[in-house]
Amino acid sequence: MAVVEQDYPLGGSPFFQRASFTGNASEYFGIWIVNILLTIVTLGIYSAWAKVRRNRYFYGNTVILDHSFEYHAKGKQILIGRLIVFGVFFVLNVLSHIAPLAVLVIWPVLLVVFPWFLMRGLRFNARVTSYRNVRFDFVGTYGGAFKAIFLGALVTIVSFGLLSPIASRWFYKYIFDNLRYGDRPFSTEPRLGALYEALVTVIAIMIVSIVILGVVSAFAIGFSSNSMGPGMGSLSLWHWMIVLIFPIYLFAGLYYRATVRNIVWSAATVDHRHELRSDLGRRRYAWIAISNVVVTLVTLGLMRPWAAVRMQRFLAEHTAISIDGEIGVVFDQIRSTGNAISAEYLDVDGFDFGF
Amino acid sequence: MSMDSTLASDPQTIATGVWHPPHSSREVPSRLMDIGGSLMVLSSEEDEEDKRLAWGIRSDIEVSPRVGSIPRRIVFGNESVFETCDNDAVDAYLRSRGEGRSGFVHGLEIVRPRLIAFALATIVLASVIYRYALPILVEIAVLATPPVVPEMMSAGTLKTLDQVTFGPSKLPAAQQTEIRNDFATIAANAEGGAGRYHLNFRDGGLIGPNAFALPDGNLVLTDQLVELAGGDKELIAAVLSHEIGHVEYRHSLRQLYRAAGVAGLVLLIAGDVGSGIQDLLTQGGGLLALSYSREAEAQADRRSVELMQAAGMDPTALSRFFDILETKLGDHSSTSMLSTHPGTPERKQAILGYARELKGKGTKPKG
Repeated sequence: MAVVEQDYPLGGSPFFQRASFTGNASEYFGIWIVNILLTIVTLGIYSAWAKVRRNRYFYGNTVILDHSFEYHAKGKQILIGRLIVFGVFFVLNVLSHIAPLAVLVIWPVLLVVFPWFLMRGLRFNARVTSYRNVRFDFVGTYGGAFKAIFLGALVTIVSFGLLSPIASRWFYKYIFDNLRYGDRPFSTEPRLGALYEALVTVIAIMIVSIVILGVVSAFAIGFSSNSMGPGMGSLSLWHWMIVLIFPIYLFAGLYYRATVRNIVWSAATVDHRHELRSDLGRRRYAWIAISNVVVTLVTLGLMRPWAAVRMQRFLAEHTAISIDGEIGVVFDQIRSTGNAISAEYLDVDGFDFGF
Repeated sequence: MSMDSTLASDPQTIATGVWHPPHSSREVPSRLMDIGGSLMVLSSEEDEEDKRLAWGIRSDIEVSPRVGSIPRRIVFGNESVFETCDNDAVDAYLRSRGEGRSGFVHGLEIVRPRLIAFALATIVLASVIYRYALPILVEIAVLATPPVVPEMMSAGTLKTLDQVTFGPSKLPAAQQTEIRNDFATIAANAEGGAGRYHLNFRDGGLIGPNAFALPDGNLVLTDQLVELAGGDKELIAAVLSHEIGHVEYRHSLRQLYRAAGVAGLVLLIAGDVGSGIQDLLTQGGGLLALSYSREAEAQADRRSVELMQAAGMDPTALSRFFDILETKLGDHSSTSMLSTHPGTPERKQAILGYARELKGKGTKPKG
């Protein structure tokens, strides 16, 4: 296996080993373009199998400690899951047109059902992922998901966002503490102080940028008021300010996301002994994310495989593990046939963990 | 003896790799052997050289399809797994057994000049689908929708609006009859005849001056709009014929299906385009759906001109409605990407132009 292993340069501990990504853009381009082409030709049916091939490529090329991950979901499973979700949405949509008032009843029900979907989605994604022939599993309960989502949202809203780090701590603890690698548990203890620091930093970035923007535009208005009507000039400037605030907001969001990932992953352990670490460069992460979107748009999507590989490589190379002693032999209880897997159809996109 | 001869016949090594016992992370360096059609894994570990780790006939063994150059998994009946990075060797073995077809998709994906053709085909197909197939699918869906669906949609909507905002009309009965008579005259020339359309008078409440059509042919006219018209009967007739146009063209169903179609297309390739781009596409889809509804408004405007002319009334009466909108409600806005309705001045111009065109032809419009 072609593996690039690097010693951890910082942090004093030489025992951290970085993950790596062995895929490349040209190889993925072939998979990607065939995925889209076959999805179009089959009127969308192939998209389920496309997802399997895409995930197998990314999991299979993400290597840590000389071993890669493997994605085991079957196209049929994902297709059925999607048909179920599609059917639910179709019925709801029709219902909302036939009896608009019924929607008022349905939405609360959906909200209550949502944590269940999240929980099952996390479980599905965990169970179809393996590393060294051992499957992951997710043992979170509905109650836990309910707390992580609704109680968290409630606390955030009631406190006007002041307690949102507590909410996000619940959320990440729910995900990590219920994750299993075979029979070994994951856990994380992110420091609340660090999460608060991240939030305060991001808010400070936003405030400072907006103040600078305000000062600059105030000057601009001052200069331009002689030449144009004051009303017209300030109106277009306000438009420009809104246009400029959007990228600031975007940057701050990405910066925050990278910070939180670093905090949560670096506080995580496997089997209570082996430490995980994430050291994403936050500005670099934001730069890669934003430039990826720009490059993809400019090339009409054709550079998307390059962008996806670039991001995955960055994430993998800034994720590391330190093994304390021997991992030993790990066993899992997941049987690839029988109920445990084949009953799993609910694949909630966007909740992939992995790397 | 027989055992010897089997082994002696052709114990060929297919590939080297590692073997995992079932559900275990333990690894044994090993090699995969082809023995007369069945597969066997032999240990390569020093102290256990040539120990048989797994054996099975091909039909009990699952070979994972090739994706790029990620490790290949060969899963035996007892769920033990042989893993190898030697994809080419595994492919060669499968081909020798006539199972080359399983690698069809991988064959397409290999980086070759023809991928350029694939990329072009994808772009062309995607735009063809958006430009031609989507409208056709929408048409098919509209045709396939049984009439009961628009009826149910409409009944529910009207009931809800009645509960939420509408009140009974306060217009004098004489005025209502007058408007009804005009309405019957216009509707007589519309698709399905006067019997298909039914005019409802309501007090608009929160909604205020408005007129709208439900897909089943029920039209609602609010007192406030009649007030706004200020006694101009033809103007009201023109607005109603605009609404009849919406019903005839089944605009609400079309819009519903179109929005669903665009959202569905974006969702299907979502994972392949990345979340940031997906958001942009969905937003863009929303904007395009709006621009489609502008097209629908223009279509209904033209229908108003046609119906008014067929009824022997002023075909340009609808333009007076836009005059009122401009003066009383101060709507001078021109069309932008973000608006549902085309800019008022533009619509007025289009109506006047179309009426002139119809007059010039001197022909009877479709009806």
